[in-house]
Amino acid sequence: MFGSRITIIVGHFGSGKTEVAVNGAMTLAQTGQPTSLVDLDFVKPYFRSRTAGRFLIDAGVELVAPEGENLYADLPILLPRVRSICKDPTRTVIMDVGGDDTGARVLGSLADVLADQPLDLVLVLNFRRPFTPDVPAALAMAADIETAARRKVNGIVSNTHLMDETTLDVVREGWVMSGDVAARLGVPVLALALEEGVLSQVDDATFGCPVLRLRRAVRPVFEEGPRVPRVGPLFVLK
Amino acid sequence: MAKKLMKGCEAIGEAAVRAGCKLFFGYPITPQNEIPEYLSHRLPQVGGTFVQAESEVAASNMIYGAAGAGERVFTSSSSPGISLMAEALSYLAGSELPVVIVNIMRAGPGLGGILPSQADYFQATKGGGHGDYRCPVLAPWSVQEAADLVQDAFDLADYYRSPVLLLGDGLIGQMMEPVEFHEDRKPLKDLSRKDWACTGWRRDGSRPRAIVNSLYLDADTLEQHNVDLTAKFDAMRANEIRVQGRFLEQDYDLLVVAYGTVARVCLTAIEELRAQGLKVGLIRPVTLFPFPYQAVAQAAAKAKAVLVVELSTGQMLEDVQLAVQGRVPVHFHGRTGGHLVTPEEAGQRIRAVLDGKSQEVRHG
Repeated sequence: MFGSRITIIVGHFGSGKTEVAVNGAMTLAQTGQPTSLVDLDFVKPYFRSRTAGRFLIDAGVELVAPEGENLYADLPILLPRVRSICKDPTRTVIMDVGGDDTGARVLGSLADVLADQPLDLVLVLNFRRPFTPDVPAALAMAADIETAARRKVNGIVSNTHLMDETTLDVVREGWVMSGDVAARLGVPVLALALEEGVLSQVDDATFGCPVLRLRRAVRPVFEEGPRVPRVGPLFVLK
Repeated sequence: MAKKLMKGCEAIGEAAVRAGCKLFFGYPITPQNEIPEYLSHRLPQVGGTFVQAESEVAASNMIYGAAGAGERVFTSSSSPGISLMAEALSYLAGSELPVVIVNIMRAGPGLGGILPSQADYFQATKGGGHGDYRCPVLAPWSVQEAADLVQDAFDLADYYRSPVLLLGDGLIGQMMEPVEFHEDRKPLKDLSRKDWACTGWRRDGSRPRAIVNSLYLDADTLEQHNVDLTAKFDAMRANEIRVQGRFLEQDYDLLVVAYGTVARVCLTAIEELRAQGLKVGLIRPVTLFPFPYQAVAQAAAKAKAVLVVELSTGQMLEDVQLAVQGRVPVHFHGRTGGHLVTPEEAGQRIRAVLDGKSQEVRHG
C-alpha cells in the first residue's frame, strides 16, 4: 500500500477512510518522506482528517485543510494548494475523500491535474456499515464512486469491524466479502485493517494479507482517561 | 439482526422504520443531516415516503397532517430548525397529536455553530411553543440507547397522544457505535386503535366525524381542555420517569448530575477518581420531562454537595435545584460554543468541589 506517489482513499460514509489516511500519512512521515495529507472531506464536518490536525503536524505531516473558523465549516472549500501538491513530484500525498459518490465528486474536478500522475485509488470497505451489508451493495457503491471520481479503483482495504466489539468472525466475514469485491473488480486486497490492540493474534499470515494496524486517531472524548491531550473541542489524542 | 456499526443519526432513522414509521418530513441542517439522508434511502425500501420540505415550518405542519390522519410520523432537526417548529409543536400538543421530533442540538443562540450543545434543555422541557403544555423528552447517552428510545418514543406518543422529543447533542448524532435491533421487540404500551384520527367520515354513521383541533373560543371549554391536558402530563410524571445511577449504593461525598454524552464524560472521570479513593456518585436523568425530582433529591440527601455538568450555562441546573430544595449546596460546570467537557476538566471540577475550592450556585 501507499506504493504510488499519490494515494486516494475512498469508500462509503464511516468505512474508516479517515483512520486509514491518518495512519498512512503518519507511517510515511516516519520514514522521512515529505508527506502531505489532503483532507477533501466536504461531507461530514464532525469526524475527518483535519480533526487530528495537531497530531499530524507533530508527526511531520503537512495537513492540507481549511484553517481557522473554516476548520469546522460544512462547505466545499478546495484549497489552491491541493492542485499544486498533485503536480509536485517531491511530495508523497494521501487524500482523504468524503463518503460515497457524493464525496468522490471532488476528484472529478481534480481529474485534469491527476490525469498523468502515479496514483492509487483505494477503496475502504466495512461490511458492518448499514448501506454496504453485502457484495452487490459494495460493488454498486464502488461503481458510483468510480463514475464520480472518473477513475477506477485499483486496490481494497478490508476494514470490517464493530469497534470494541470486533470478533475474529466479524473480521473474517468482511475479509471474505472484500475478496469477492476485489475479484469482481480485478484488483488486489491491499491490506486488512485492524485497530491496535484488537485481536492481537491476527498477523500477516492469518489471512495471507498484510495487516495494517490502526491507531484510532479520532474518538469521542468520553472514551479516554482524564489526562489525555485534546484535539480541538471534540476529540482526544490516543 | 447482526450488529451494525452505525452513526447515532443512522440508528435513529433505522429505529423509526422499525417502529413502523413510514413517513418522514424534514429539512436539512447540520449536525442531523444523516437522519434525512438515511431515510431518503431507507423509506422507499419499506414502501414509505420521504419528503424534503421547503422549510422546517412546512415539515412540522406536514407531520401535523400525517399524525392527524392516524399515521406514525416523525421529523428531525437541530436547534435553530426546532425553533422554527415551535408553533407547530404547540399546535400538536394542543390538538393531542402523536409525533416524534428529534433535536440533535448544536451550539446557539441564533445560528450559533454546528458543534455539540445541550442548550435547548429549557426549550424542550419547559415549552418551546406557547401555552400550557409539556411533552416527554428523552435523552440518550449512547447510539444503542438512542435507537431504543426512538422506538419507545413512538409508543409513548401514541399512548399519550402527544409529541415526544428525543434530545441528543451533536456528538450522539455523529459518533459511531455498534447497534443491535431486536426483531421481537414488544410495544411499550397497550395501544388502542386511533379512533380519533381523521380517516374518513361516513354519512351512514358507521364512521363518526373526527376533528383535529386546538381552537376553543369558549373559556369554559378551553379551561376544561387544559385540565384534561394537565391530567395527562401528571400521568406522565407518575409513570414515565427514567433515571440511571452509578455508585449510588456505595458511599459518596459528591453527587454529579449530568445527561446525554456529558454523563459518559463524567462517568469516565468518576471511575478514575474512585480508583484514587475519592467518593463520587453519578445520577443521569434519561427523561428530562418528566424530570426525576425525587430520585435526584434522594441521591443528593446522601451527599455533601451536588455538581451539575452541562453543555450550557446552566439549564437542567434549575431542575436539580428544585429537586434539592437548598438542602445541599449545588455547584455547576458548563461549556458552550461547541466545546465538550473533557474527563480531565470534569475531574478537576469534582476535586475543586470536594476541596472546598468551588463556589456554589446562588441566584439573585
